[in-house]
Parts: sequence; structure tokens; C-alpha cells
Amino acid sequence: MNILVLIRLTLRELSSKATMYILAGISTVVLLGVALAVSVTSSADGETLMLFGQQVSPPVPAADLARVVQQMQAGLAGGLFTGIILFGVFATAGVIPDMLERGTVDLYLSKPISRWQLLLGKYTGAVTAIAINILYFLAGAWLVFGLKCGVWEPTLLTSSLTMIFMFAALYALVVFFATWTRSTAATIILTYLYLFILGGILQNREFSLYLISENTIYRTIVDGFYYLFPQISAMQENAAKQIMGLEMDWKPFLQSFLSGSVFLLAAAVILKRRDF
Amino acid sequence: MPALQCEHLSKVYRGGFRKKGEVQALQDLSLAVETGQIFSLLGPNGAGKTTFVKILLSITHPTSGRAFVLDRPITEPRVRRKVGYLPENHRFPGYLTGQQVLTSFGSLSGVRGPALRSHIDSLLTLVGMQEWRDVKVRKYSKGMMQRLGLAQALVNDPAIVFLDEPTDGVDPVGRKEIRDVLRNLRNEGKTIFLNSHLLSEVELVSDRVAILDKGKLLKVGTVQELTTTEESYHIGYEGSIPEALRTEAAARVLDIVISSEGIVARVSDAASLNALIDLLRKHKVLITSVGQQRNTLEESFISLIKREIPE
Ligand SMILES: Nc1ncnc2c1ncn2[C@@H]1O[C@H](COP(=O)(O)OP(=O)(O)O)[C@@H](O)[C@H]1O
Ligand SMILES: [Mg+2]
Repeated sequence: MNILVLIRLTLRELSSKATMYILAGISTVVLLGVALAVSVTSSADGETLMLFGQQVSPPVPAADLARVVQQMQAGLAGGLFTGIILFGVFATAGVIPDMLERGTVDLYLSKPISRWQLLLGKYTGAVTAIAINILYFLAGAWLVFGLKCGVWEPTLLTSSLTMIFMFAALYALVVFFATWTRSTAATIILTYLYLFILGGILQNREFSLYLISENTIYRTIVDGFYYLFPQISAMQENAAKQIMGLEMDWKPFLQSFLSGSVFLLAAAVILKRRDF
Repeated sequence: MPALQCEHLSKVYRGGFRKKGEVQALQDLSLAVETGQIFSLLGPNGAGKTTFVKILLSITHPTSGRAFVLDRPITEPRVRRKVGYLPENHRFPGYLTGQQVLTSFGSLSGVRGPALRSHIDSLLTLVGMQEWRDVKVRKYSKGMMQRLGLAQALVNDPAIVFLDEPTDGVDPVGRKEIRDVLRNLRNEGKTIFLNSHLLSEVELVSDRVAILDKGKLLKVGTVQELTTTEESYHIGYEGSIPEALRTEAAARVLDIVISSEGIVARVSDAASLNALIDLLRKHKVLITSVGQQRNTLEESFISLIKREIPE
């Protein structure tokens, strides 16, 4: 019950900021663009998917059109997801620091709610806000492709759950940074550092950190760090597979679930022990 | 049953990265506040008043000691269902209107539905903020924020309310109104715990006052008890004072300590000092000097607070 109230408060907080509307606005523009750009032409050779009047691929039999469309959907969803992640982190990074601000935190903490519930409520609220955006975009894209290309494969729709999960795993890391630093700017910087630099280095550790030493312990520690963090790019590859109807590897999702739990737990411990 | 009770509470704030700069904000504080009283904690800035209230609300953790609010250990979140709090320098999210503040924070306190809505109406009237209910709080003045903060502290119909410097930034008329609100709450049987650094702010409403300085509780009593000025005198003498005379002398003053160094007597007025001197002279004690003793810590502290009374 408390959690629901907190989710509602967080959604209201986020909807009072321009960033969420900008995010929805960008999604709308992209959807309209896709609606205008995409078409299917039929000829004796088969069906051809067109983008801005250009052939995307050679004509295929009608039965194979879905596969071609799904490939395009995967590319679009991948690009947009990267956008939503970057912008979504930016838009929601302030949720925890704002709650922990001097003069405001006292109001929250004096309520009959435990600190981990406060954290979980704010976390869920922010994830809900981004989930709404993801659903809006993917449902919109599914509709556009259905109407324009006649392809109604549900994989794009179902991939929204995967994408929401990915953001949720990443947002646990954001909450951890936010609880620890209590600063929106620091949270954004640390999260971007992870996404742009550390994440890539850890992912490609065979070609980077491994080269520093052949020591097994060292490499185990490096591996440990890799698995500690949410595996955004590995999950993203799998989300693309999901959209294309290919088999997915669930390991990165399980690992990211554990990673998210660890970071949320760590944030809860930090919050519980802190004096305000 | 006391509404609030604490035993040997101490708080040490650790200084940031460099371990130096530890602050002992509270020292071995034990206190009980009876239900249905207006109780004030009085002390200069930095005395530890805010720290004390924050510990009772589990916003800050005590270094040692324990405390109970409404007969429950403060570590249980559900204690706070019946607790109201007006923090010092509180800040409501600026994007909410006054009414939304009360609905949001009210529902976090566990009050919901139509009961909450009608309660909010009466609270807004109580603090005189009806006209501002639909205005975003970022447009409020400091005084208006305090009024809304008071309403927020009462939104869950608490049994005990903690108010940290509630009249800060409020004009004299508003201060009087707040005092009236507090008296009415007390008459409804609620317990009110007030933090203030101004004696003038608490003496008119408080049933009991505790004085805190540098984290130590100096004195607890009624305003009357705490503000009656008593003076101490040092009387030098030669010769000896028999036991019988000591007992008789003790009866004439509030407090007396007789040693070979001299006599230190605490008296309520000059007349009783003279009575003591008369008694000593009658018994042929040779008086060599009479001088006013330096005030005790408590007394100097009370005069310190008195000097802060704004005119
Ligand atoms: N979060 C904190 N970290 C470190 N020191 C603090 C903190 N809060 C208060 N203090 C210190 O504790 C002492 C008591 O402060 P406070 O409880 O705010 O007093 P008051 O409310 O009586 O003015 C002061 O010396 C203050 O500097
Ligand atoms: Mg204070």
C-alpha cells in the first residue's frame, strides 16, 4: 500500500518535469517518421520492404516478409532503446537525490514507512515511468508496422517486457549511485561512465583488463566485476533476437537480476545506516 | 503513561572523511514527557535540539541509549503512524500545491480516502491557508511554508506532535495564531513537543520546559521554576560554626554549603540574605566578606536565553 502511494508520488514528480514529455515527444516523432518512411510494395517477384522509397532488401515471398520486417524492428528497437536508456537515466536520476535532500528527507523518514520501502517505492515509480515510455513506443511501432506492412508478429510487443526488465536492472545501479552520492549530477556521470566506458571494458575484458596480468585471482576479480554489473549489451543482443523470433540466451538476464538485487540491497543498507 | 521517554541517549556525529571533527551532539540524555502536555526543549543554536527530535523519529540514529514514543521503541516504523513532525527548514516538493502536499504526505502516513479529504479542509482552515490550497508551494513565503508544515504535521491526527522551531519566519500575528492552535491541540489531549531557541516563544504556551546546552540537559521544570531568579552569595568568615547553627542557617535559605573556605548560600532575595547574616552575627560569627557568587551554569544560560527575547 505504501509502495503504491510512493509510486504515484514519483510518477507525479516525474510528470511535473519536462524531460518525460521530451522523451515521449521524441518517441512520437520517431514513430511518425517510421510511419511515413516504411512501406511494402508487391510485384511479381514478391514483397519488398521499402524505406524512404528505397528497397531495404530484395523482394521476398510473402511468407518471408515478416522476417524482413522483424529485422528492421529489431534495429529500430535497439536504437530507440539506447536512446531511452540514456535519456531515461537522465530523466529519472534525480528521483532518489531529491527525496534525500535536506528538509525533504525528514518529511519522508518521519512517516510510518521503513527506509527500504521508501527506496523500493521510488525505484518502482521511476521504472514505471520509463516502462510507460517503452510500452508507448513499442506498441506504437508494432501498430505502425502492422498497418503499413501487414505484419502483426507479436515479438515486438513481447520484447517490451524484456526492455523494461533491462531498464529495471540498470536502474538498480542508478539507485545505488544516487543513494551513495545523494547527487543527481554525480549519479548521471557515474551511470554514463559505466555505460560508455566501464561496461565496455568489462565486456571486452579479454582484450583489455586481462592483458594487464595473467594472474588467476586478478582475472577472477575482473570477472566478478563484470558479473556484478547489469549486462546491458548482452541483454540488448538478446532482445534483438527476441524481436526476430530467434532463440534467446537467458543467462545475462539472470545475472542482471542478481546484479540488480545486489545493488538495491546495497542501496538499502547505505540508506538504513545513514544519519540525516 | 509518558508519551515519550528516553534513557541515556547520546549522539556523536562522526566528522566526514577525515575522522577529526567529531561532534558530541547529545550527552546521556534521559527525559520523560507526560501525555497531554506542551513540552518545550529550549537551548541555543547547536545545543542538540534538532538532533534529539530526529533521533526520536529515527531520522538520525543514536550512538547509545534508547527511547520510546507512545510506549513503543522508536525503531518500529509503525510508531510514526500516530506521530506528527514539522521539521526545521523543511522543504516540500515545489511542484505540488498546498493541498497536494497534504494529500501526498497524508497518504504516506496511512490516512486515505474521504476521511483524509475532509480532514485536509479543516486543517487548511485551521492554519489559515484555504486561499492558497491550489497554489504550488514553490510560490509560498517562509511563513506560509510554516503554516502548511504545521498542517502537514497534523494530517494523520497524531497523538504526539514534534515541532522544530515552528514560528521561524512567521510574523507576530502568525505566531500568536500558532500558539492558539497548539493550546487547542493540547486541550484535545495531544502531546506537543516544541523545539525553540527563544524563551519568549515557549514561555507563553509550555507546561514544562527542558533546557539543553551543548548536548546536556541542564534542567527540567515549569517555566516558573526555571525563570525565578535565585542568587548565590559567598560569605567569608572566621571562627567556627557549630552544627546547631548550620541547621538553623539552612532553614533560612534555599541552599547552603558551609566549609572552612566560606559559606555559599543560594537565596531567593536580598531579605533572606540579610536574615542569614543577622543570624550569623547573632552567634558572633565574624564576617570578613560578602560577595555575589558567580551564576551557576544553568542561571547564566537562562539569562543568555532571556537576552534573546526580541522586543
Ligand atoms: N548531520 C550532522 N553531521 C555532523 N554534525 C551535525 C549534524 N547535525 C548536527 N550536527 C551538529 O550537532 C550539534 C547539534 O546540532 P542541532 O541538533 O542541529 O542543534 P539545534 O537544533 O539545537 O540548533 C551542532 O554542533 C551541529 O553542528
Ligand atoms: Mg535545530
